[in-house]
Parts: sequence; structure tokens; C-alpha cells
Amino acid sequence: MKINKIILSFISALAILISTSVVSFAKVVGDKIVLGAAISLTGKYSSNGVHTQNGYNLAVERINSMGGVKVGGKTYKFDIIYYDDESNPKRAAQLAERLISQDGVEFMLGPYSSGLTKAIAPVTEKYGVPMVEANGASRSLFTKGYKYLFAVLAPANLYLDVAIETAVELNGGKPVRIAQAFEQDAFSQDVRLGILDAAKRTGSEIIIDDKLPKELNDMAATLVKVKQMKPDVLVVSGHTKGALTAIRQIAEMKVDVPMLAMTHCDAAKLSKQHGKNSQYALCASQWHKSLTYKDKFFGTGMKYAKDFEKKFKYDPPYQSAESSAALLVFKDAFERANSFDKKKVRDALAATNMQTFYGNIKFAEGGQNVDKPMVLFQVMCDDSGKCENKVVAPLKWASAKLIHPIPKWSER
Amino acid sequence: MNKNLILYAIILVFGLAAPFIFPAFKVQLSILCVLIILAVTWNIQGGEMGYNSFGNILFYGLGMYLCASVQVGMFFPLAEWTESGGEKTFVHTPLQFFQGMAVGLIVAAVVPTIVAGLIGYSILGLRGHYFAICTLGLGVAAGEISGGIEIIGAGQGFTTPPFPNVGGLEARGEFFYFCSFFALVLAFITIRAIYSTRFKLILNAIRDNEDKAEAMGIETMKYKIIGWMVSAFFCGLAGGIMGGLVGYIDSTDVAFDGREMGVFMVLMAILGGKGTLWGPIIGATVFHIFKEGFWTFFLGWQYVALGVLIVVIVIYFPEGIMGWLREKYPERFGEVIDEADRKAQVELK
Repeated sequence: MKINKIILSFISALAILISTSVVSFAKVVGDKIVLGAAISLTGKYSSNGVHTQNGYNLAVERINSMGGVKVGGKTYKFDIIYYDDESNPKRAAQLAERLISQDGVEFMLGPYSSGLTKAIAPVTEKYGVPMVEANGASRSLFTKGYKYLFAVLAPANLYLDVAIETAVELNGGKPVRIAQAFEQDAFSQDVRLGILDAAKRTGSEIIIDDKLPKELNDMAATLVKVKQMKPDVLVVSGHTKGALTAIRQIAEMKVDVPMLAMTHCDAAKLSKQHGKNSQYALCASQWHKSLTYKDKFFGTGMKYAKDFEKKFKYDPPYQSAESSAALLVFKDAFERANSFDKKKVRDALAATNMQTFYGNIKFAEGGQNVDKPMVLFQVMCDDSGKCENKVVAPLKWASAKLIHPIPKWSER
Repeated sequence: MNKNLILYAIILVFGLAAPFIFPAFKVQLSILCVLIILAVTWNIQGGEMGYNSFGNILFYGLGMYLCASVQVGMFFPLAEWTESGGEKTFVHTPLQFFQGMAVGLIVAAVVPTIVAGLIGYSILGLRGHYFAICTLGLGVAAGEISGGIEIIGAGQGFTTPPFPNVGGLEARGEFFYFCSFFALVLAFITIRAIYSTRFKLILNAIRDNEDKAEAMGIETMKYKIIGWMVSAFFCGLAGGIMGGLVGYIDSTDVAFDGREMGVFMVLMAILGGKGTLWGPIIGATVFHIFKEGFWTFFLGWQYVALGVLIVVIVIYFPEGIMGWLREKYPERFGEVIDEADRKAQVELK
């Protein structure tokens, strides 16, 4: 049986290959603090993955060029190891393990989307690796008792319930009829829970409650029902693809609805891609450039937007802004901990209380940011067809008045 | 025979020692074991029986959900565990965790086997492309359906019970590695045993000419179903282990992941050489190493690199690595070529 020889040599070759490929980085190499991140560079979240990565990169560059991080009297610079998680939770969990046990990373940045964060959090928790994440908003992330997870964003169930309340208010305090369609993923389903809560609170009725597939290219079935049943509010959430699909088909099918509430309008660059068709869409956002928060690295939101645009040639969606903020949080925590001990850094993170251009950041027990409200903006277009996102709620930051109800297609 | 035993002993020792020799690679090694199980069991249909099944992912996903559900459901109300994307948290004691896992794995293996029997009875009458397309639909449908079942988390996904706090940091990785390694050993022994009986010859007869096999009095349907049930048993087991290892089950991306796992298992078997015992094992290993390498060194181009690999396989190694080796060194595979006889044949032509 000579075949044994082949198999044996194969196994030994494998053993040699594995043992030579062990490359171990330390968490801090020379003057570098190495952070790890699994990002969706391919797959269904790839556009948002890139927004996230751009946000991280811009902040790393800015912090490094403005003096870096001072720990124990020495100056360190940030560096990030990226892997592509292919928008797949299985892959993300595996990469987190790899970043920590093979690459020796001791501090992590979050991936894009709630589902992937849900897959990574148990791993970082097990190893006691602090993770500051900027794109996992699902409420269930913050009720698991994770000690090493910190999110700079508000939980997903808060995204659109303001929209329902506004609709009720504009309806003279009377309950409204809601039609909703959500992608079948952790984030969108959490937004749905928020709507259910809001509907209960206001006594509103949900007349259409559809689930959209993950590869979201068509929601005509839902829109046909909307046309028939004439709800007061249509709520759609399904990441970037959901926003694009909704606007495209609503315009194609000329669906009239008094209020259209969505998520991910800015990440989908709706106002640019669909121009006037996207007009009047109401969007939940973690951040808007016109908000008046400030910090010394990026200045104001406007300044951040300008710097971002200069480097990446597009207007920053909130996904980028919150990702940049995650780095600011890490820097602040390292300096306050004055150490690279994971436990100490974790404690410093838990005690974070700061303002960034993105908003105030203060973590609750569960790790979610409780000091930053959501904003709603509406896509508004001028006569020349140029469209812009304008904040309409909460009133404190509103730069325009909400247009309600949305004019009928026949009157536009 | 003795030599064989030595070889197996070496592999076994290597497998048992692997997580200690390469402590940082435990997760990859566990996944490798799972991939090998999937490839080897796919080979029963695709390689030996000539039925290209894209549906084995169904059993894998089923096993994953079943194992996690049983593990939770044995001790806590499952509906509350998954409600609102798993907001409520119950904590398993170590004993509960391992008991749940053990029972869960048994269920994860047995139920898909029964399902395979039932489905097999109704669709294994289809042949060729029709069977392939039908099974492709099975996986896709299962993904969509499970994404709508609230009690297993629906679109929110299902967070499996976290590993209890015993035995330090390395315990979790070691536990899942040994689970998957033993599942692999079990799968290998079973399949090797099956292949040494008449069963394999019948499968091959079905592949080569099903009508003739039937005409010879073989109840092909029975053997096709049994073959599929064997695959389902191990796919379910592998799925159950993988669910615990990943820690988060998503309907279409983790469990019924036909786009990745479903295709990879076919690819690995073909790469190694379908219709051989060792082919899928070697194929899975090579594939896993290449994939990890591409994903590290060609970030952004990894799918291009993977695509090139597939093209190279199809063009240069249509019979897979084992097939290629067999052609090159037939004598090493026990095929004796009598030089004089060969020459005589050439001259005859």
C-alpha cells in the first residue's frame, strides 16, 4: 500500500505548513497599538462594511497625526488588522478567534451589523478582550450581561419609534394605521420590535407586517398591499438594499403613503442615487453632520463631513461617523487607564463620559450608549432637483420642518 | 493491513495532539474536521452513487438548530430564550451545558437521518440534473422557512448557550475540537466499514448504470435512501457541533448556508477526487488551507483567487488530486501494470 506514503507525506507537509505560518503579533508592537477588526468587505453588507472601514481609517489617521495615544509617558500610534468577514456570522466568529488567538490582538473594533456583532461578542467576552463597536445596534446585545462590549450607538429599537409618535401627533393624537416590512436579520427585526412597542403605546394598528428576504431586490408584493390598504405610515428597514429597493419600487409603482419611514437612507446615498424619487423619505439616523457636537480631533460634524468627503469622495453616512467615534473612545480609555492591561482598559471604557463630534458617549451597564438620542431626517429637494437630508426631529436640532403628509405622486 | 493500522494510529495521535501542538489554530482545525465530514459524506452521493446532491446542507442546518434548541429547551423555555432576538438571558450550569450538548448532538444526528429517509423516499426517484435541482431547492427553502419560525429566533438568529466557565480559556476550543474530531473519526470508521462491503459496489452500480443494476435485481431505491441517511446522520452531527462552535445561528448564513458550505462540500470532494475514500479528506484539507491563505494574503481578491483555484482544478485535475495521483502512479494504488503485456497491447493496435 504505497498510498500510505502519499498520505503520510501529505500530513507531514501540512504539519510543517501550519507550524511555519504561526505569526504572532503582540497587542502593542513598538509604538503601535494593534486593534483587530473583522469587516464586511464582500457580501451583502459590503457597502456598509466599507463605510465602517473608512470611518475607522480616518480616525486612525487623524489621531496618529495629532499626537497619537499617550500611555505611561510614551506615545503610541493606532494600527488596525482587518479581515473580511464576508457578511457571514460564521466567518466573523472564526475571525474574531483568529485575531485574538493567532494574531494576539487584545483590543477589538466591532464589525458591521448586529448579526455579526452577535457572533463576535461571545468570543471577545470569553477572552476578556474589550471591544468598542459602532455598528451593532440590536437590543439583545446589551441584555446578555457582556462586560467587554461597548457600543457607541443607540439600540435598534429606538430607530423609528419616534417616527410613529410623530405620525400619531400629526394625526391629532389619534392612533395611526401602520404598514411595515422588515428584512429578516437581527437589526431590522429589532427595529420592528421598536415599532411594535410604539404601536402598542399609541394604540396604533399594524395592518401589514411583512418579512423581506435577505437578498433584498423586490418588495412589490408588500407595496401592492400598501396601495390597496392605504396605511398612514409605511416603515421599511433592510439595510442599504432595503432603502434602495423601497424607493425604487415606490416610485415605479407610484405608491402614495402619507409617511414613509426608513433606515439606512444616508448609507444608501438615497438622495444622490434616486434624486427626487427619494424626496420626503423620513430616515432614522444615529448622526447627522448638522448636529452641534464637538471634539478636538474632528471639530464639528460639518468639519468631519468635509474632511471625510475630501478623502473618500462622498458624504459620510452615520455608519462612518460612529466608526470614527469608536477610535476616539478607545484613545480616551487608553489614556485614562494609562495601561494596556485588558481589565484596566475595560474599566476605563466603562467609565467613559465624553463628547465627540458624533455625540455624547456614556455607556450603560449593558454597554450601550445612553447619552445620544437618535435623529430623524427627511430627504428634501429643491426645484433644480438637488436633494439633501435635513434634520426634522428632535426639535432641538431640527433645521427644517417636517413635510407631512407626503404629496401624492399625481401632484408632484 | 499492518501498515494501514500504523497509518491510522499516526493520524489518530496527530489528531489528538493537534490542539496542543497548534493551540492557536483550534477553531480552524475544528472547522477542518467539520469540512472533512461534510465532504466525505457528500462523496457517498456525489462520488460513489453519482447523485449530485446540493441538499446535504439541509441536514447540517437541521442538526445545528436541533442541537441548540434541545440544549436550551431541556432546561429553559425555548420561546423565552429566543424572544426579541434573545433579550432574556438564562445561564446554563456546566453540567446542564454538557448534558444538553450530549442529548442535543444525539437528536441532531438522529432526526436528520429520519428526515433524509422520508425526503429520500419521495425524491430519490429523480435522476441526474432533476435530482440536483430538487435538492438545491431543499436547502434554499429550509433557509427561508427557518427564517420565519419564531421559536428558533426567526430572522433575529439564535444565540447558542455560551460555554460555561470551566477549565480556563482554552477549554472551549478544546471541547469543540475533540467533539468534531471524534465525529470525524466516527464518520471515517463508519464510511470505511460501509465501503468495504457490498454496499459500495451497489452504490457504484447505481452510478454506472442504474437501470442495469435494477435489472439485476438490486433494490436501488433502498440503497439510495440508506446512503443518504448515513450522510444525513453525520451532516446533522457536524451541524450540531458547528452551531455550538460559532455561537450564533442565522437561518441562511450559518445554518442553511447553501451558498458557502453547500457548495464547498461539493468542491472539496471534487478537488480531492470524488469516488475515493481519501480524496474528499485531502480535498477538504487543501481547500481549507488555500481558503484561509487567500483570505489572509489576498484580502479583497480572495474570491478571485478562489475562482482561479476552481478553474485550475476543473481544467488540470478533473479527476481531483487522488485521481491525478492514481493516473500518475497507478502502481502505488495497487494497480499492477505488466510492462510486457502493455507493450503487447500497444503493438496489437
